[in-house]
Amino acid sequence: MGVRDSHGEATGTPDPVEKGFATLNTVRIGVKAMVQKDGELRKAEILSIRQRKDGPSFYVHYVDFNKRLDAREVREEKTGAANKAAPSKNVQKRPRADSREVSGTPDALGGKNVNVDKSHRPSKAGGKENIEVQTPGDASLFPSEAASAAETPKGDSEDVDMTDAQELKEDEVKTASGEVISRGEEIERLRTSGSMTQNPTEIHRVRNLTRLQMGKYDIEPWYFSPYPDAFSDVDLVYIDEFCLSYFDNQRAFERHRAKCTLVHPPGNEIYRDDNISFFEVDGRRQRTWCRNLCLLSKLFLDHKTLYYDVDPFMFYCMCTRDETGCHLVGYFSKEKDSAEGYNLACILTLPQYQRRGFGRLLISFSYELSKRENKLGSPEKPLSDLGLLGYRQYWRETLVELLIEPGREAMSENELAVLTAMTEKDVHETLVVFNMLRYHKGNWVIVLTDYAVSEHNKRLEKEKVKGARRIDPARLQWKPPVFTASSRTWNW
Amino acid sequence: MTRYGGLGRTRPKKLTSKASIPIVREEEIDALDEDVQNHQQIETGVEKAEESEFHLQVAINLTAQGKVNDAHIPTPETILSNLRYDELYPPLFSQPATYIRSSATVEDCCGCPYNMTEEDDVFLKILNQKRGASSPCSEDNFEATMNFFEETAKAKQPFAAVDNPPVLSFEEMEEAMDSTVEEAVKHFAKHIYPHWKSRRTAEGNNSLEPSLKFETGQDTDDSDPYVCFRRREVRQIRKTRGRDAQSAEKLRRLRKELEDARQMVALVRQREVARKEMLSMERTLFLQRAEVKEMKRKLNIKDDDEDLINQKPKKKLEIPPGQRPSVPQLRLPLKGGINGAEDLQLLEDVQAEKENEILRDIKANITKHIKWNEGYVDHTRAPLSPPPERTFDAAAFRPAFTAQLPTPPSSESSGDMDTIDVTSPLFSRDKLASRAMEMHDEPHRMPSFRRRVGRGGRLMIDRRNFAARCKLEMDPVKADRFKFDQEDSDEEPVHEIDGYSIQIMQHRAITMAKAREQAAVAAQAHAQAQAQAVQAQAQQRRLQGDQSGNPGAPPAPSVVTASSEA
Repeated sequence: MGVRDSHGEATGTPDPVEKGFATLNTVRIGVKAMVQKDGELRKAEILSIRQRKDGPSFYVHYVDFNKRLDAREVREEKTGAANKAAPSKNVQKRPRADSREVSGTPDALGGKNVNVDKSHRPSKAGGKENIEVQTPGDASLFPSEAASAAETPKGDSEDVDMTDAQELKEDEVKTASGEVISRGEEIERLRTSGSMTQNPTEIHRVRNLTRLQMGKYDIEPWYFSPYPDAFSDVDLVYIDEFCLSYFDNQRAFERHRAKCTLVHPPGNEIYRDDNISFFEVDGRRQRTWCRNLCLLSKLFLDHKTLYYDVDPFMFYCMCTRDETGCHLVGYFSKEKDSAEGYNLACILTLPQYQRRGFGRLLISFSYELSKRENKLGSPEKPLSDLGLLGYRQYWRETLVELLIEPGREAMSENELAVLTAMTEKDVHETLVVFNMLRYHKGNWVIVLTDYAVSEHNKRLEKEKVKGARRIDPARLQWKPPVFTASSRTWNW
Repeated sequence: MTRYGGLGRTRPKKLTSKASIPIVREEEIDALDEDVQNHQQIETGVEKAEESEFHLQVAINLTAQGKVNDAHIPTPETILSNLRYDELYPPLFSQPATYIRSSATVEDCCGCPYNMTEEDDVFLKILNQKRGASSPCSEDNFEATMNFFEETAKAKQPFAAVDNPPVLSFEEMEEAMDSTVEEAVKHFAKHIYPHWKSRRTAEGNNSLEPSLKFETGQDTDDSDPYVCFRRREVRQIRKTRGRDAQSAEKLRRLRKELEDARQMVALVRQREVARKEMLSMERTLFLQRAEVKEMKRKLNIKDDDEDLINQKPKKKLEIPPGQRPSVPQLRLPLKGGINGAEDLQLLEDVQAEKENEILRDIKANITKHIKWNEGYVDHTRAPLSPPPERTFDAAAFRPAFTAQLPTPPSSESSGDMDTIDVTSPLFSRDKLASRAMEMHDEPHRMPSFRRRVGRGGRLMIDRRNFAARCKLEMDPVKADRFKFDQEDSDEEPVHEIDGYSIQIMQHRAITMAKAREQAAVAAQAHAQAQAQAVQAQAQQRRLQGDQSGNPGAPPAPSVVTASSEA
């Protein structure tokens, strides 16, 4: 519970926790169970259940894994891993209903962020306290209700309501993915559950698109994105590589391709070198394109919010070029006027181009823009796990590059910040994280660690072989855009 | 803090951002005299709930150990698609030499927003089979029509998502067909409508193209994760009456401007429609002429073929007169001016013409007055038409003109006049003076006099055509009052002379004649003043000269010469 409070969710009421064993049929949404993952059992939370002809399929989130690894597990698979012959009622999976999170209160959402789920999932962090010792191999079945007991300090009636709602969800699986239901069903639900809100928070914890076709690649989405809700029913969603329009129908997509004439992001090219180009796109002028881009990137960014429109942002899009056009590789968005001094809001390298150093170029470009503006900048928080690693690597390499320059005897953090356009805080923290700022004999020193130097040399060698992938400030044709007071007041 | 104290160490110095920190290599410092190191907790900036994630922790720990390259966070796989990429993305892009600048939007680049599905394909195939090969409906036309239905439905039922209206009827669709709708759409609409309706009904009257969920203004908006791209709250501006009036005014103006623009577009449209009509008329005319020609050949009619061409030459004749007036006007002066300084010549010509016109007018008026007064004698002062003095023996009068010479004759040939600065008062005065003289060419109009011997042997001088001095400036009665009040007489030395000496009288007569002339010129100048501002100014200056009787002014010397010669 303490953990819960640390999340700022001041409920004051302890979680209702049910514990015990469940059968496949009694498993409900929100239940945590041990699920086979890559040959080992991992605790997983069931986020959605679909009824299929051959039984239910479960969408599970592995506790302490990033959501992008959430998966739809078919029952057979799960059972098959351990015990193929097991009868359907007697499965390996031993669902344990620990710390079930009751999330049926829509008011807890507040208005602001779509990604409320973070605050709604304390169970993950708080799981340790609630975990009951698991006895593997024990196939005996206890109905989960048996253990539920009167641990719930909340009123009985409320608890019952919750249960009803959840059970209903089990029956009408598709409501979980936001499908429209018939009027009759709606009335029936009103009658039985008294609530029309079907745990709306759960909807976006479940990935809604199955697979994505974009350019030459088939991509697996990582997170929920508010594409039209009909899209959750199709196997493949087509994304036009240039205008980023989306289609759930191949024929429609092909027709669109026959008509679409866009071959590069719809803005001005502000940077060009041998490999890549950068385009600057104004969210207000290119609303459709930028919305499309945000929908697409939401599939890969957990903490991106699409709550508000794209108007107050500029989008800096990195492309590779070939004879078909300028292919979007990644982008970052930037507030036209950031009160907190952020020089970057969201950053993404599309999955098909990841692990090739593009992210570093994007980060580097964002700092080049800050240098042109004569400002120090920092990325907006929170960072994703990948974002954190990317930034830390960039920061370290950039600082080491400066510190290692011959003739440098001493430098202040401020000097480093000005030269790199990083904030002093980022400079300081980077030095600390990589153990380069040390207190030695009563004085602070910056230590060029052996590790940092060898990494630097490795990088230089790599660049010699592969060619340097850097942003050349001389090729940047850009002036910081200026927005009038009225356009800021009325239009963003 | 206590720890440092306990270990007998000092607390580390505070590190400011401006403080210069020495840079050292690892080997330059002693290994680990520290437990001071790394006790600062550094925020990762990652969401708290996710900081503990397994893979991230592994990666962070590996980084801390210096094994950055092993830090790896697993992500779902991406595979090559089996899409026919080359067909869908044709290699049409050629990179311009300069950086690309573009402002076209997605809507601009995507053509018709409706895209056919397989279902539509089936319908279209059947439709085209029914229609036969003669007039099939193309895919583009089909999409345009479907798009028209969709757009109309959206416009007519903007709250369809909320209030669930029935599918729009075909009659309503027809109402929405205005001139902006393509012909093809109008043509195919009624064939495609049933298909659209059935699809629409199947979708629960929702848009056929899947669309994003935007705000609907309902309470459920906030918690619906599908609702995205909400408008931001605009900062409230303090309300004042002035601002209200201002925005009302702005709106009014905007409305007016839009209205104007609309009207303009409507007029342009009208013009284009008329033009189109004209073209089609011309075309039919041409075709019919062609037929006539055919027939003529067939029937072997031989005439001058006027009926094949007659319209056009007429038109050509009609059109030029409209344009001609301006062109020749521009050209005539060009012909007049031989070469160089043509503009100046032109101005002179115009001025001369205007002057002539005025003079002609004056002459005409004078003759008119004479005509009116025929048989009468005008005994008023300063009569408009001089009284007929024919009763006298004209021959006996001697014109006073004889001795008069225009001022410096050598320098002021009429040829030179054109090049003289028109604004110079000197110039205009002399020029006008010479003209004035021309006007009075007839001897009987000149101031003249005669000597006669009256009863008792009295010698008398009769004069005629003498105008009163200053008659223009002053009322004659008033002038009479100041008759002997001339100030200039003070300036001139008073000569003791015989008032009846013929020489003196002659001189006086000439002087008077000159004054009269000048007065006449002044009258002209007044008439001209309205037409020629520049000249008027010059005239005024001269008139002032006259009033003060400045002897230094150019006319005076001429008088002097005249008198001395006389």
